[in-house]
Amino acid sequence: MVRLSQQAHQRRVMIAMAIYVVVFLWVWPLARSADALWLKAAYALAPVPPVVYVIWLMARRVLGGDELEQRTHLIGLGVAAAAVSVYGIVSGFLASAHVFGAEWSAAALVWIFPLLVVVYASARAYAARRYGGGACEEDDISRATRFLYLAVVFAAIAAYVYWRKGDADGTGLAVGMAVGMLASAVFFAIRQRRRRRSAQE
Amino acid sequence: MKNQVRELREQRGWSQGELAEQLDVSRQTVNAIETGKYDPSLPLAFRIAKLFRHSIESIFEPGKD
Repeated sequence: MVRLSQQAHQRRVMIAMAIYVVVFLWVWPLARSADALWLKAAYALAPVPPVVYVIWLMARRVLGGDELEQRTHLIGLGVAAAAVSVYGIVSGFLASAHVFGAEWSAAALVWIFPLLVVVYASARAYAARRYGGGACEEDDISRATRFLYLAVVFAAIAAYVYWRKGDADGTGLAVGMAVGMLASAVFFAIRQRRRRRSAQE
Repeated sequence: MKNQVRELREQRGWSQGELAEQLDVSRQTVNAIETGKYDPSLPLAFRIAKLFRHSIESIFEPGKD
């Protein structure tokens, strides 16, 4: 199996997740208005392929890693499994007690995978940093780029909320998040530039 | 555990990346071994010893417990 660099891996994951967000916001809602059952199912399952692709990328990354990488992946997956278990049992109990409606229960299920990915990535980054991963940061996509991607995602969500629902509060929240992410991207880009300049001097 | 990996690598004029490539591990792993943050497995320790043509015990020393 050809080993992808961390940068190539992260780029592919981000592109897949961006496609997931776009499909989830623009294609998936069509399932509600589709008449034919097969079309309804096709629209409803449209966000699944990018998720399966990300899972395949994650498996490829773990299998292709060396012993230290596999250890950090294991730590990340362990923490993510614990977090998702707690989330699952809490939302399951709340749903069983009818604290939330059916819509909320379904939404809780949809958020399991994003939660797993975020906790896994954070825990793995923390574990890698403990082993000195911070000394090799140039192998990763820069924080500025990551925040820029997130700004684009939140901008897309804002556009969707405004276009589909006309919800001023929701749009404002998403725009605020997009601006915050953009500001973070600019901050980290400036910091990275200053560090590079001081390293050259 | 203390080790002489950095010294041996620098004696040969290799970068961390070059050593990592020869050991078939990532540069982060070489960095973690050199800084003592990670103790390699026995098979990897044997690969390191073979590459530098040294015995394992001359490269790796047990630390204080």
